[in-house]
Amino acid sequence: MLTRRTLLGAISAVAMLAAANGPAFAQDSYDIALISKGFQHQFWQAVKAGADKAAAEFGANVTFEGPETESQVDRQLDMLAAALSRQPDAIGLAALDSQAATPLLEQAKGANIPIIAFDSGVDSDIPLTTATTDNVAAAALAADKMAELIGGEGKVAVVAHDQTSRTGIDRVEGFTNRIEEAYPDIEVVSVQYGGGDQLQSTEITKSILLANPDLKGIFGANEGSVLGVANGKQELGSNIVVIGYDSGAAQKAFIESGVITGSITQNPVGIGYETVKAAISALKGETLPPVIDTGFFYYDKSNMADEEIAAVLYD
Amino acid sequence: MTGQGRPMSAHGGAQPLVAMTEIDKSFPGVRALSKARFELMPGEVHALMGENGAGKSTLMKILSGVYSRDAGTVLLNGQPVEITSPRQAQDLGIGIIHQELALMRDLTAAQNIFIGREPRRFGILDEGQLNRDAAAIFASMNLKLEPTVRVETLTIAKQQMVEIAKALSYRSRVLIMDEPTAALNDAEIAELFAIINRLKAEGVGIVYISHKMDEIKRISDRVTIMRDGEYVGTVPGADTPIETIISMMVGRTLSNDALVIPNTTNEPVALEVRSLNRGREIRDVSFSVRKGEILGFAGLMGAGRTEVARAIFGADRRESGEIWVHGKRVGISSPKDAVAAGIGYLSEDRKHFGLATGLDVRNNVALASLERFTGPFGVLDEAGMQREAMSYIRQLSIKTPSDTQEARLLSGGNQQKVVIAKWLLRDCDILIFDEPTRGIDVGAKSEIYKLLNALAAQGKAIIVISSELPEVLRLSHRIAVMCEGRLTGILPGGASQEEIMSLATMREPATAVRHAS
Amino acid sequence: MTDTTAPAIKTGPRISGAFHRLLAFSGLIALVVGFSIASPNFMQTQNILAILQATSVNGVLAIAATLVIITGGIDLSVGTLMTFCAVITGVILTYWGLPLPLGIIGAILAGAASGLVSGTVIAKLKVPPFIATLGMMLILKGLSLVISGTKPIYFNDTPGFNQIALGSVVGSIFPGVPLPNGVLVLFAVALVAAFVLSKTALGRYTFALGSNEEAVRLSGVNIDRWKIAVYSVTGAICGVAGLLIASRLNSAQPALGQGYELDAIAAVVIGGTSLSGGRGTVLGTLIGALIISVLANGLRILSVAQEWQTVVTGCIIILAVYADILRRRAL
Repeated sequence: MLTRRTLLGAISAVAMLAAANGPAFAQDSYDIALISKGFQHQFWQAVKAGADKAAAEFGANVTFEGPETESQVDRQLDMLAAALSRQPDAIGLAALDSQAATPLLEQAKGANIPIIAFDSGVDSDIPLTTATTDNVAAAALAADKMAELIGGEGKVAVVAHDQTSRTGIDRVEGFTNRIEEAYPDIEVVSVQYGGGDQLQSTEITKSILLANPDLKGIFGANEGSVLGVANGKQELGSNIVVIGYDSGAAQKAFIESGVITGSITQNPVGIGYETVKAAISALKGETLPPVIDTGFFYYDKSNMADEEIAAVLYD
Repeated sequence: MTGQGRPMSAHGGAQPLVAMTEIDKSFPGVRALSKARFELMPGEVHALMGENGAGKSTLMKILSGVYSRDAGTVLLNGQPVEITSPRQAQDLGIGIIHQELALMRDLTAAQNIFIGREPRRFGILDEGQLNRDAAAIFASMNLKLEPTVRVETLTIAKQQMVEIAKALSYRSRVLIMDEPTAALNDAEIAELFAIINRLKAEGVGIVYISHKMDEIKRISDRVTIMRDGEYVGTVPGADTPIETIISMMVGRTLSNDALVIPNTTNEPVALEVRSLNRGREIRDVSFSVRKGEILGFAGLMGAGRTEVARAIFGADRRESGEIWVHGKRVGISSPKDAVAAGIGYLSEDRKHFGLATGLDVRNNVALASLERFTGPFGVLDEAGMQREAMSYIRQLSIKTPSDTQEARLLSGGNQQKVVIAKWLLRDCDILIFDEPTRGIDVGAKSEIYKLLNALAAQGKAIIVISSELPEVLRLSHRIAVMCEGRLTGILPGGASQEEIMSLATMREPATAVRHAS
Repeated sequence: MTDTTAPAIKTGPRISGAFHRLLAFSGLIALVVGFSIASPNFMQTQNILAILQATSVNGVLAIAATLVIITGGIDLSVGTLMTFCAVITGVILTYWGLPLPLGIIGAILAGAASGLVSGTVIAKLKVPPFIATLGMMLILKGLSLVISGTKPIYFNDTPGFNQIALGSVVGSIFPGVPLPNGVLVLFAVALVAAFVLSKTALGRYTFALGSNEEAVRLSGVNIDRWKIAVYSVTGAICGVAGLLIASRLNSAQPALGQGYELDAIAAVVIGGTSLSGGRGTVLGTLIGALIISVLANGLRILSVAQEWQTVVTGCIIILAVYADILRRRAL
């Protein structure tokens, strides 16, 4: 009897606690659910920060959730389904797999809940707009910077996070296409994928460097990838040029110390902010453009402290 | 299912059910059987006797397909057979009840009995039939047991009955019982013997392995005695005096190294145990050890010697009994308390309980005394540890290249010394050695003996538990003998093996127990 | 609720087994009641269906894991095996364009084959189950990526495919209750597994192996064969899970799957199956899986921050196992 009471008591206590901790549903403010692709990662936390900023500014309640890894498509669907059950006023979604999300998006449409796509967007006509970075253009900028830094000739390589996601595809293509078109003397000798995992990317970088002693530079296509590239460079004592993508405390420190020359940053804070703002505009019945470009920047040691740049970098 | 109603086979003069001849079996490093032989007639209860390690169980495991033999022949009803698996043995009508019960605790009695041959209907288990069949066997055994009860909840005795029911269910022509009464009380033993007699009448041949002389006398038609893996002889069960059987078991070839036994009777008592009890395992055990004395503990497997040691050391809870150290009563409820009282225990399974095999010699020596080497902020005084370890390496002549050698790389004898060093460093002056030379080669054994003698000479009180009689005889100033949880007697150091064996096989304490002090 | 899964034993300590399931069941009810009171949005048909849908894949995986865990083993490869089977279906249906039934059979056979390999490595090569299935987990993960070319395989050419999980046979009969087929599949797998465990020799040996393997061997049973059989059945069930997830996503996602084995094992443990083997029930596992999804869904409905959702789930797992330990001590 003791055991049963103990467990039941604990479970109900947990349930109560959860209930007590839930934010009160204010009648006069919008309830907006953002379902992202990830959660712990600093990038997503910066998106969340932007969303929270807009929420405070426009007086909305915003929740932010995402699966543990970007491969857990079904877990994201469970989150979306639970969000729909909550009957929010609007939903923001960065879909891991647009097709898999379609039935639930139809359901949202049926329930008249407006959907705003963010980050890499949703392949569907249901979302009212997409708040995103133009990854192809941003990666092309990285290619330009790389060419400039290595003197317009030599071998370079790419370490990217994955070849299935939109950002992975766009950044790799944006970079390699730009090199191919504009810099005939530069050769991309290798494009490798480390799943955005720092350690794995380190090992990949080291093998690329050992296989190509005359390599001039590596482009790391997201935070985890470029941190791996920087580690690999340091471990082998190489002096190649490293161009990164995204930011984060470690990446900023590497740029400060010169291991990474510079990076492209999206504007994650802006993505979160624009998503919530677009949702509220939609709820007010305003029309939205099909794409909201949330912008990108190239930053290095020289401009990192500039107000404009510092505002979009995250730790 | 029970074999009832089977036609009786001819008694006497018939060909043997089982005839095993010239059986050899070796395990890595050990010759377990050498030209062993055994014969079983239909309707016969044939006891198999010998000291621990004489090869009884090995021989029967060969007959029941658990082990395969290296050489020799096995005839079943006159036909040579190769028994390669327990399943095949069962199919041939050979059933075995193992000494360690081989039951599936989470399954019911009926499920256990018919494991591997469940009645099925259309491929689906027929649980009703299963339970009815089991109930029929229990009924034939006169056993009150629900077929659907989970084995886990049964007493050991009842579990044993389930094992017997299982063996019976195979319509076994040959039934091997390895120490079947070890956990049974007198009423249950009578029950078992009734079942045995019924089976006997039906022509089943029964191999009965036991250490208990009175049972052998009561139940067996013939007794085969084994020693050191070899066949010694076969004698009639009822007419042969116990002394004859014991002397056949012990043999005459033992060398008695002369042992200088100093008179320790004037030394103060270091450890006294009064009326120690723990269920069936330890029953009213009292004894004392003086400073400078080695008290040997003899007895057969399962007599309760290790249990007594573990209870004194606080490794197992005791139900009652007092422990006095140097004239003061001490409360010991855990090994920690025992160590604080200056008692060290060297377990029979060094690798599991005595030695941290992954650690080096230095850390093993210091393991029980780490507080002594702990400085500010919990930092260990490695230099101090090394100093002490090196000192014991010299003192006990531990053969190791350095004190940082991993303990597992040392030989058995040197591992034993490392454990001894651990307790000495912890200031233990009462040391309990459980099988101190198990797994140690002969050369190293005598070194351990010398070390024990030296420790005694330094005034340590020492208890040595050993299953090897020559070892007990060689080392001990006095010998305590146990049987079935009781201390059946304490003999002086010069006692004969026959005296020890007769105490070790005594069911109840005899009226005239010799107590030497 | 007790008779379907207990191996047809009505006396003695089985009561406490039933008691534990009762305990888990009471926990589930407490959660449902608690969340219903806390939010009006919880107890809605749509949401209950979402919870069941979310349970279907993990539930099937957990049932698969239950079998090996009862033998005293473990299968860490269930998650990536599920993915592997989904990819195999993708190859059969999308790459080769074969008919749907072949895709279904292919997934289940691929699962069984993989289980056969794990079981053989464990039984014949004596590699401990933890290591053997850890190896298989990585092998299958890698093979899924290799076979699919690391890209999702979509089932757009097989129109009926997503109906396996998303369609609703029940809904077409009772329009008010659009219970997804995926949930029916879960229940079907549970019924079959419970039947196998309680009524077949395979089930009996599953419990026997976990209880005392040596005793089973000494009873003359070919334990290697049965062990391999258990792992194969587990694999086949993972094949069903692979079909479910592929159907639900209308694609085989090759990178998914790792980490799912832990959720499955958590469901098994919450359901009262002992990690040391010998005891366990499918019904308990089902309740365990439901507890996990109800908890996740309810906390989301209440807008509890994601960080805290994880903390609460961890607490529930420890509590459930602690309750089991208390129960054993009382035994």
